[in-house]
Amino acid sequence: MEINKLTVSSSPHLHSNNTVLRAMLWVLAALTPATLFAVYYYGAYVVVILLSSTAAAVATEALILKLRRKPLRAALDGSAAVTGLLLALNVPASAPWWLVAIGAGVAISIGKQVFGGIGHNPFNPALAARAILVVSWPERMTRWVGPGLVSAATPLAQYRAGVAVPAHADLFLGLRPGSLGEMSVFLLLLGGALLIYLKIIDWKIPASFIGTVALLTWALPTEGQTAFFAGNPLFHVLSGGLVLGAFFMATDWTTSPLTKRGRVVFGFGAGLITAIIRLYGGLPEGVTFAILIMNACTPLIDRYTLGKSFGSTRGAM
Amino acid sequence: MNDIKVLWRGIFDENPTFRLLLGMCPTLAVSIAANQGLGMGLATTAVLVASNILISLLRSVIPDKIRIPCFIVVIATFVTMVDLIMAAFVPALHQVLGIFIPLIVVNCIILQRAEAFASKNTVWRSALDGVGMGIGFTIALLMVSAIREILGSGTLFGLHVLGFWQSFEPMRIMVSPPGAFIVLGLLIGLINSLSMRRV
Amino acid sequence: MTKSFVGGIHPPYRKHRTCTLPIERMEAPRIVVIPLLQHIGAVCTPMVTVGESVALGQKIGDSNAQIACPVHASVSGRVVAVENRPHPNGREVLSVVIENDFHDEVHPSVQPKSIDHLSPVELVSWIREAGIVGMGGGGFPTHVKLTPPEGVALDAVLLNGAECEPYLTTDHRVMVEWAEDVMLGLRCIMKATGVRQGYIGVEANKQDAIVALTRVISGATDIKVVPLAVKYPQGAEQQLIYACLGRRLPKGKRPLHIGVVVNNVHTAQAIAHSLRTGLPCVERVITVDGECVERPGNVVVRIGTSFSDVLAARGLVGEPHKLLSGGPMMGIAMYTPSVPVCKCTSGILALALTESPFAEAMTCVRCARCIDVCPMLIYPTLIAQYGERGRTEEAQKYGALECHECGACTYVCPSRIPLVQWIRRAKSDIYAERSRAQA
Repeated sequence: MEINKLTVSSSPHLHSNNTVLRAMLWVLAALTPATLFAVYYYGAYVVVILLSSTAAAVATEALILKLRRKPLRAALDGSAAVTGLLLALNVPASAPWWLVAIGAGVAISIGKQVFGGIGHNPFNPALAARAILVVSWPERMTRWVGPGLVSAATPLAQYRAGVAVPAHADLFLGLRPGSLGEMSVFLLLLGGALLIYLKIIDWKIPASFIGTVALLTWALPTEGQTAFFAGNPLFHVLSGGLVLGAFFMATDWTTSPLTKRGRVVFGFGAGLITAIIRLYGGLPEGVTFAILIMNACTPLIDRYTLGKSFGSTRGAM
Repeated sequence: MNDIKVLWRGIFDENPTFRLLLGMCPTLAVSIAANQGLGMGLATTAVLVASNILISLLRSVIPDKIRIPCFIVVIATFVTMVDLIMAAFVPALHQVLGIFIPLIVVNCIILQRAEAFASKNTVWRSALDGVGMGIGFTIALLMVSAIREILGSGTLFGLHVLGFWQSFEPMRIMVSPPGAFIVLGLLIGLINSLSMRRV
Repeated sequence: MTKSFVGGIHPPYRKHRTCTLPIERMEAPRIVVIPLLQHIGAVCTPMVTVGESVALGQKIGDSNAQIACPVHASVSGRVVAVENRPHPNGREVLSVVIENDFHDEVHPSVQPKSIDHLSPVELVSWIREAGIVGMGGGGFPTHVKLTPPEGVALDAVLLNGAECEPYLTTDHRVMVEWAEDVMLGLRCIMKATGVRQGYIGVEANKQDAIVALTRVISGATDIKVVPLAVKYPQGAEQQLIYACLGRRLPKGKRPLHIGVVVNNVHTAQAIAHSLRTGLPCVERVITVDGECVERPGNVVVRIGTSFSDVLAARGLVGEPHKLLSGGPMMGIAMYTPSVPVCKCTSGILALALTESPFAEAMTCVRCARCIDVCPMLIYPTLIAQYGERGRTEEAQKYGALECHECGACTYVCPSRIPLVQWIRRAKSDIYAERSRAQA
């Protein structure tokens, strides 16, 4: 045996097969049922939106990494593709391809790369881009349609206007208008369950997020419903981008807290803001801004939820 | 440092917007359209040169302990003059810029140049410094507002420059404050990285 | 119902090649290199000179330091050198090199003893004289562990039969084949420390060991076998105590401060063996495994046998990517096979590249998996990031000094960051700062 062929490195010498790419591929897989449903519900033209967004995201990341003179393999770790897909799933079906392409470019460049790339961004890139798109092209981003590009109102808008909303079953299965990915709660839950099982996301965030929204929309009075504890929590949980946001956007690794307790606080805060915006705010849907605001609070949450170490006898660390 | 350098550095090395990061408030607020940016830049330059000259003339007279209020009085005087002149000769621009003309009084560029340069240098050099800084500020404002106007309204100085592109839909965030921050931030980043590569 | 702790990982155990094979005895080699430091503590001073003849079991090195342990000749023969030689700890250590005359002539001091005829103090003294150290890899002199300072009361003796590291099955086979000695060793420790209750913690994947031990205990109530969840690092001292007894070890304290003495099962067996035969610690069982080993298994090896001799005896296939002393999670990678088996060497692993692949590190993506699996409930990624930048204060705040380097964090990291390496760097920076402050 030749001595100079032995590798000397620090323990441990075994490694799991976890990689960022594997996790991202699983996220894409978990989103696939909901994505295919969007194609089924609206028609094949949404494929243009999906592809445009994803391709623009990966291309932008590769370009910026080249300009930053960093190794290009980071562009292929799947995180840009996930950002691109999530952005596409957050726009109405009437969105033109250039809108999502610009959005994806903004998501990667301003939402992620200017901060230093993966792991350094304070805000969820897809949601930051969505917020920028909403301010940039407000009519396009609220041009909700049904199948065949016929103009239609989303359940939350109908609720705001006081008109009849679809039945719970339709909301659950996804037979209602909305952004591309938010419609089929059922398929999103399947994907979310897969990710929780694989330990790619922590169940605490969606549980506390959705739980808080359910609790508050049930308990708080609104102008249409002045009594306490008489709200419609099931409607609120099943409509809008709550399930999509709670399982796939709020759980983004980089922008959510590191500590276990912190994640519960994060979900609670996002649920609180979502409920307040939906019940009392100017917009029908509040998930995007709720998550972005809580993203900004993440470092603070981390600082105040540090747990005691195994050997601590008294007080927090 | 020779006189030419005093003039030049206000435009490049010590550009008040991109290097010193002063005068952010008007930069972000009135750079929605190029004509606004130009108007504000020229107005600020006028006030800057005038106040630099006067403060430099009075520099041995102003007591040190109350120098800041004295500077403000001088600057406010010139700002009021510029405000009235603009109301008389360019009323439309005056209307659009609104409160930001009086706010030139507290534009940090003018106060900083007074404090750091005009109160310690000759009249000629102070004037050159004012001109350089003013031009630098104006150029910066023009750059930011040109980008914002083209992307956010499709026009430049009111002319439809993107008219050939029939289906262009302006990116409305550019004409609102978040867009200002984004454009300014990206420009500063770009300029930093370009100048670092040259070195 | 198995006991457990919070956190931990489930690496592939890869024990199937060796866990059912009986322990074999390896032939004594021609040359043994006995390091004068095979324990935590002071280096021994040699008691023999070049050219001298030594007998099996003869004491060849000792020290007056409080934390030290004598070393003995593992073969009879002639001393050919007393010089610095490579050691599994990565440095060179003063060692006694003996050329074996293959007579195995036993030294007259080797006399069997009976546990009943020895008082507790005599037992501890015998354990010292026999050179017994922690054989699970720790190498702490056992007699020091059994002598608590004034005012400390011990009430539990815990034997570590968890053996949570992949590949290693030494303790497993010792428990299955030499269960009586394990129990006898436990009773010695209990007598030496005056403790009435003994426990043996065994992971539930070693059912045959649990059965063998239970049979040997045969109804006695002062010894209990505790089945443990199969998780890494179940055999880590703090996690073991917590799982078996429910007690947490406070920061900076040792088990004796909470009334517990923890020893490895092989250490207990070595105590019993040395009482029965009178021989000091001159041999031990090690697991030899890895894809580059032709005939993996557990072997009794003389202390001082070189790794290359062991690998030659078990057959080397191909070129190993890594040669480890110990297990794959906490073992040390050797730069040369010419290092000797010491008292605390638990295994020799000749791993191929496929078993221990290399990957380049990327940036931390804040997935928090390392935090989720850490058994000490500290923050590996934060310690590592601060440690990498030399920021010792923050590294300490997030728990650097509490890390026992089990490697669970590094195992799960998707960005392949060498977390344990950076945490080690942080720890060494912190200690260096402290000693500078004191100087």
